[in-house]
Amino acid sequence: MEAVIEVNDLVKEYIIVQKENGLRGALKGLLFPKKKTVRGVDGISFSIAQGEIVGYIGPNGAGKSTTIKMLTGILHPTSGTIKVCGISPQADRKSVVRKLGVVFGQRTQLYWDLRLGESFELLRRIYQIDNSVFEENMAVLTDVLKLEEFIHTPVRQLSLGQRMRGDIAAAMLHSPSILFLDEPTIGLDADAKHAIRHFIKEINRKRGVTVILTTHDLDDVEQLCSRLVVVNHGKVVEDGPMVSLVHKLAPHRLLVVELQQPFHDLEHPSAEIIKQDGLKIWYQFEKSRISAAQLISELSQKLPIQDLSVKEPDIEDAIREVYKTT
Amino acid sequence: MLQAYWYITKMRLITSLTYRFEVFASVGTNLILMLASVFLWKAAYGNGTEQVQALTLQDLTTYTILSIMLASVFVCDVQDTIYSKIREGQIVTDFYRPIPLLACYLADDIGGMLSSMVNKVIPLFIFAALFFGVPWPASPLSFLLFIPSCLLSYAILWLLSALIGLIAFWVMELGNMGMVKDSIVRVLSGSIVPLWFFPESIQTISKFLPFQYTYQTPLGIYIGNIGVREGLMAMGIQLIWVVLLYVLLAAGWRRSKSKTLIQGG
Amino acid sequence: MVNTIRHYFSVAACFARLAVQRQLEYPLFLFSWLLMIPIQYFSGIWMLKIIVDRFQPLNGWDFPELAFLYGLGLLSHGILVVLFINTWHIDNMVIQGAFDRLLLRPMNVFFQLIASYVNFIGLIDLIPGLIIFIYGCQLVGFEWTLGNIIKLLLVLLGGVLIRASLFISLGTIAFWTKRNASMVGFTLSMLERGTMYPLSIYPYVLQVIFTFIIPIGFISFYPAAEFLGKGSESFQLPLNFALATPAVGLVCFMLSQWIFRRGMKSYESAGS
Repeated sequence: MEAVIEVNDLVKEYIIVQKENGLRGALKGLLFPKKKTVRGVDGISFSIAQGEIVGYIGPNGAGKSTTIKMLTGILHPTSGTIKVCGISPQADRKSVVRKLGVVFGQRTQLYWDLRLGESFELLRRIYQIDNSVFEENMAVLTDVLKLEEFIHTPVRQLSLGQRMRGDIAAAMLHSPSILFLDEPTIGLDADAKHAIRHFIKEINRKRGVTVILTTHDLDDVEQLCSRLVVVNHGKVVEDGPMVSLVHKLAPHRLLVVELQQPFHDLEHPSAEIIKQDGLKIWYQFEKSRISAAQLISELSQKLPIQDLSVKEPDIEDAIREVYKTT
Repeated sequence: MLQAYWYITKMRLITSLTYRFEVFASVGTNLILMLASVFLWKAAYGNGTEQVQALTLQDLTTYTILSIMLASVFVCDVQDTIYSKIREGQIVTDFYRPIPLLACYLADDIGGMLSSMVNKVIPLFIFAALFFGVPWPASPLSFLLFIPSCLLSYAILWLLSALIGLIAFWVMELGNMGMVKDSIVRVLSGSIVPLWFFPESIQTISKFLPFQYTYQTPLGIYIGNIGVREGLMAMGIQLIWVVLLYVLLAAGWRRSKSKTLIQGG
Repeated sequence: MVNTIRHYFSVAACFARLAVQRQLEYPLFLFSWLLMIPIQYFSGIWMLKIIVDRFQPLNGWDFPELAFLYGLGLLSHGILVVLFINTWHIDNMVIQGAFDRLLLRPMNVFFQLIASYVNFIGLIDLIPGLIIFIYGCQLVGFEWTLGNIIKLLLVLLGGVLIRASLFISLGTIAFWTKRNASMVGFTLSMLERGTMYPLSIYPYVLQVIFTFIIPIGFISFYPAAEFLGKGSESFQLPLNFALATPAVGLVCFMLSQWIFRRGMKSYESAGS
């Protein structure tokens, strides 16, 4: 597959003004503001192929939004190169943005006071969308995102979930081949989240749209992303398929055993007891050192086991590992 | 209790001081208004005119400078505060707070006043003194009367602003009603052209309106155009207006509050 | 080329239609504007009349001439408020991310900035402007010849461009500072005082500044002096002022475009 996005050694520095506390600080800041250079993005490289759904994740302030803004041509990097469909968004903004759909979860591009459909009409003209294409896209979007119930409602009266669906539709009207979603499910209820995830899968499957998603919702990641790029402190700390990432970052499994009666010698050479609560014991073990079946059979030989369960590590554990170590 | 209000005042003072760019721009704006008005008077007095209606050019220069300094001290954001609280739906929760809301808003505006004194009035005074000489009061006594008269003026302006804010309770929108009020105040308070120059009929009507007691009264006292006796009388009228507007506001506020709490904002 | 123009035109028309609809959503705003603007400007000219009546003409400008000057200045102000009001809000657009959105669309950013909000409410500013100007024309006996009308239109065009350039340059500051609302207030009062009173009442230094550095003298004072055949005793340019205004306007506008592009570059390299 050909790369639609290529990022090489991307760096973004910015200057912040430091503020001090209290009345004295305020007076001091009035006369002598203190400035400091910060590296928001510090040497990021990756490439994304056509048709991928990539989760771009990391803690707040890790440089996610700044990267997205550079990829979409809003900001210019301090150094490093970006190619979107072979074109630099900084050199030829207009050509690149035609191919992009961008949704910022916390900021709507819809007109607050007007009916949803009016905003679409404006976008039709801005992107010079052919009538036939527009109608076809509207039909698909209306169907998958269930827009018909509120397309004639003023945007300010929409629920957050409806507004987000409207925003996503607005970003897809001009048939972009790449969709950037910055926190698309933030603050939404389960139904709305489901609808949006379903939509993302659909457009990816049917139209081959490449999706780059930043989110804090790990369910989004788990259900949508084939690949994860994890950033922290402006650097890529992990990049790979989700399964192997989880495996690599969280190699431990958990065996939860419930005993019939208290017992003294609980230890096992290949597993570590990480928690004990009455008759319940949590064993942590590494897949590579001992299989679950073996551990269970060995433990059941000496312990009076009532019940047990094995817990696979999930993406949440993996991400927690990342945030912890860096 | 007072500590709570002082806290609000202090927070406002601190936040106002942080916006340094705004402060420079505001001083600049007022400086321009001051220069323009003073030069307008200079042109009006040109060719050796000494006195018009017993006022000299120096009197009007002082009047103008002080008027602009007062305008930047008299911070009345209460109407906008009320409006934004209503729009954000926060007013209902605010009503359940243990301290009276209007007093909080007043404390906030007083914080704005204090910061304006530091970062707006002082620079304006220095510039004015450099360009046109120190704008001295007519006498120490008139200065002594000027201060309480100013406080009464502020009370009138603040109450007017709060009354305008009440509109937002009833129509959920304020538009620019505050600015409408401001433009009326600007003309009828004599803040730009003293009412003494206006046609007789306007002067007569204006005596029965609160506006001239906001700027013209303290400024007239300051430049000595309003004597001690007249000054004390004018301050009495100011006080009457404060009481009147306060009663009006208290009644309106109570009604707005019960309406809001019943309808849930 | 024709396609591009048609594209921009269709977007501008759609923006305009949406802007009207949005403005009609807030009737009290409309109403308060309808109250405030006439109060503000009619009282302004009325106070000038009071001063002239009680004192004397201002540096040789009697009331009819002052009304002509005031009206001329107000007309270009009104047009500016209709067409360029978004330049006052660049700071808000930057803070709320609306400016990022402009950058995400395949059109010229400055065009989107201006076209996205045609302020029809600003037509209200034009009402007192027209009334005072026509009243002033009557008082001074302005001759409505074809030549004068063309001159007048050119002066208005130039005046609007000068005002727009100022606000564009100022709005650009928001790319660096993220706030400039108070600068807008500052400039508005400077423009008001500089265009509605005769420039000649100000000291020499200010006249030089308002002629060569911030050329707001060309918005109304010099053209009015030219139309009324007034020689200014303190400061005079040996040019046909009425025709200088559109030229000055164009130069300023080009300069402001350059500044705007610089500001955008800085925004792109700084972020928010």
